[in-house]
Amino acid sequence: MSRAMLYVYHFCRLALGGVYLYAGVVKSADVVTFARDVANYQLLPYAWNYLAAATLPYVETVAALLLLFNRKVRPAALILTSLTLVFMVALVTVLVRGLDIDCGCFNPSQGHTSAGIALLRDAFLLFPAIVTLRLSGRMSAR
Amino acid sequence: MKADSRAVLIESVVILAIGVVLGLSFNGKMVLDAFSGRLNSTGAQPSGGEAVHSTVDVQAFPLPIMLEEVRELLAAGALAVDARAAEVYAEGHLPTALSFPLGEYGQVLPDFLQQVPKDRTLILYCSGFGCPDSFDLGERLLAEGYLDARVYEGGFPEWRDAGLPVEKEAP
Repeated sequence: MSRAMLYVYHFCRLALGGVYLYAGVVKSADVVTFARDVANYQLLPYAWNYLAAATLPYVETVAALLLLFNRKVRPAALILTSLTLVFMVALVTVLVRGLDIDCGCFNPSQGHTSAGIALLRDAFLLFPAIVTLRLSGRMSAR
Repeated sequence: MKADSRAVLIESVVILAIGVVLGLSFNGKMVLDAFSGRLNSTGAQPSGGEAVHSTVDVQAFPLPIMLEEVRELLAAGALAVDARAAEVYAEGHLPTALSFPLGEYGQVLPDFLQQVPKDRTLILYCSGFGCPDSFDLGERLLAEGYLDARVYEGGFPEWRDAGLPVEKEAP
């Protein structure tokens, strides 16, 4: 892998880890409000919203810490890439159903972020996620 | 290569499991309460007029409910509470709903406490998904000692769009 690619890889790894660490920590600090945000998507049965809200921020945090510490990068990147894709699908359903809800992506008390903006943000986040996933495979194959 | 992919998948599952276990270790009580229907005070039946919030260790907060359950609860005698501004309420609200604008909490509360018994089921609503007032009002009323507060998150827009009856205040 060239030096430039190495820089790109580490930048993407750290960016992805940083964003998801922030998202995980702020959501885990207010799980109740995050549960309400999840419920607003109207995708899960009632109690499952709380299960998702109780566990998702911790999965994000663990995977993000692994990325930041450069440990188990491929599986961590796989999880965060998958989560990003799941979030994007959920946001598309919000747009299709015409719901006006807060995306609940980061700080639950930060205010209203529309599904369209959140979808755009996730699309940008998908880039470092895929780059990290792909290049970490090459790193481990070296 | 195949074995490598399999190892990555297994490691991903392990990381996922660690996150889930961590989350449940911090929030397991809330999740159990959610699955058993005891998340807010709705599962705690009043007994001899005693406060029942002590039976719920996690922060009491209003239970979100959907349109069908709203209709059933209203038919069973629950009270709809409109958290929107009074002038918006006047333009149209759920039948028999009381107006309780969150912004006038301090002024409205004394009358509300007098009129509405603490064991009455409250259905709070505002302007639909994304409107936090009904949830905030529910939290405050639970803190005041109300035993059963639920949030109808679809709110007035969903009720109206479903073609259900709407009441208006006389001008």
